[in-house]
Amino acid sequence: MDDKRSRFEAQVLPHLDAAYRLARWLSRAPGDADDIVQEAFLRAFRSFDTLRSPDARAWVLAIVRNCHLSALQHGRRRAAEPLDEEHETDAGAGDVPAAADPEAASIERDERRALARLIGALPGEHREVLVLRELEDMSYREIAAVTAVPIGTVMSRLARARAALRAKWHEESEGDGRAVR
Amino acid sequence: MQCAEHLRVQALFDGELDAVSAAAVERHVGHCADCRTLLEELERMRGRIRRDLEYGEAPRELRSALARALDAEAAAEERRRSPPVVWRGRPFWLGTLTGAGAALAAGVAVVLLAPLFFAPLPEELIAAHLRSLEPGRLTQVISTDRHTVKPWFAGRADVSPVVADFAPQGFALVGGRTDSLGQQRAAVLVYAHGAHVINVFAFLPGRGEPPAQASRRGYHIACWRGGDLDYCAVSDAGWEELGTLRELIADLGARDAR
Ligand SMILES: [Zn+2]
Repeated sequence: MDDKRSRFEAQVLPHLDAAYRLARWLSRAPGDADDIVQEAFLRAFRSFDTLRSPDARAWVLAIVRNCHLSALQHGRRRAAEPLDEEHETDAGAGDVPAAADPEAASIERDERRALARLIGALPGEHREVLVLRELEDMSYREIAAVTAVPIGTVMSRLARARAALRAKWHEESEGDGRAVR
Repeated sequence: MQCAEHLRVQALFDGELDAVSAAAVERHVGHCADCRTLLEELERMRGRIRRDLEYGEAPRELRSALARALDAEAAAEERRRSPPVVWRGRPFWLGTLTGAGAALAAGVAVVLLAPLFFAPLPEELIAAHLRSLEPGRLTQVISTDRHTVKPWFAGRADVSPVVADFAPQGFALVGGRTDSLGQQRAAVLVYAHGAHVINVFAFLPGRGEPPAQASRRGYHIACWRGGDLDYCAVSDAGWEELGTLRELIADLGARDAR
C-alpha cells in the first residue's frame, strides 16, 4: 500500500462510521447514504494532499455534507421526500432490546420511531446541527467547520433546532399521551 | 416570554463556557425557573436522542466497496505519476515545469484561511495547473468538439460549464478533464493558444471571491462569474490573451442563457 493510501487509512477511515451516520441523517435513506459516503471518501482521497487541518473528522464530514448538497442540487436523489414507514423502521431506531412483555416492546418501538420521525421531519440545517452535536458530540467550533458557518450561527441554529424538536415533541405527547415522553 | 439567557444556558449545557462564565450562568439558573426548565428539557432530549438514535456503523459491504475504490484510485494516481508519455506528439508545454511542482509544493505556506481546510484558491489553481502539465495528465477526454466534451462532464464533474472551441480566434479546444478543487470535482476545459496551455476551471461558488486577476510564480489567473458558476483561467499566457478568452466564454454563456 503506498504512502498516501496508508496515511489516508490511518487519518480518515476511522471516521467512516461518523460519516455514514451523518449521511444517513442528511439523506434519510440508507441506499443514498452509501452512495454519498463512497463519493465523499473518494473526493477526500483525491484532495487529501491539500488537507491543512489536523481535524480530519470535521474535514471529511464537511465533504460528506457537500456531496449530499450537490447530489440534492443535481436532483439525483429523492431525499426531499418525507420518511415512509419502511425507512423509519429501517433507519430509525436501531435494534430495540427484547422485552419480556411484547406489548411494552411495541410501545417502546413506537416511541423510538416517533423520535426518529420528528427529527427526520426537521429542516436539513436543523437536522445536521442536532446530529453533529448530540450523536457525534462535536464542539460548536467543529460544527462550524463542518457546516461552513460562524460559531454564532451554530449556536442559534442549535437553539432553534432544539426548540422545534421540543415543540413537536410536546405536540405529540399531548396528541396520544405516550408517543414521546 | 423566554429568558434572554437561553443561548448562554445552552452553551453551559454543551460545555462551551469557561469556568467563570459557567459559574455566572449557573447562578442565573439557580433563580430563573424558565432557564431551569430549559436545562432539564435539554438534558431529557439529549438522553432520548442518544438512547434511541444511534445509527451504529457503516455496513460491512460499504466498507469493503470503499476499500476497493480507494485502492483503484491510489493505483490510478500512481500510474498517472509514473510513465512519461508524450501526448499526441505535441509536447509544446514540456520543459516549462520539471521540478516546478515540487518547488511549489514546498513553498506553499501552510496557512489556515477562511475556507478552513484547503490551501488558498490561487495556490490550488496553480498546483492543479502544474499537475496538468505533467505528461499524460492534461486531458481525460481529447476532442475539439463541444458535443463530445460537454456530455463527458456529466456525472464526472459537479458542474456543467459552457464548452466551445474558439480555434478561429486562436484558442483551440484541446479537451477536458476533472480536477479536485477543495471538495469539488471541477470541470476543466483545456485550450491551446500558440505555445501556451490554458486551463479553464469551472466550479460552484463558495470558495470566497475568486481573484479577477492574480499572479503566482509566473502564471496568471483570471476569474469571472458566468451564470451560476465561477470560472478561472490559468496559464503562462499574457493577461491580454486570458482576457480575450474570458470574453469569448462569457459572451457565449450569456447567449446560451438567453
Ligand atoms: Zn433565565
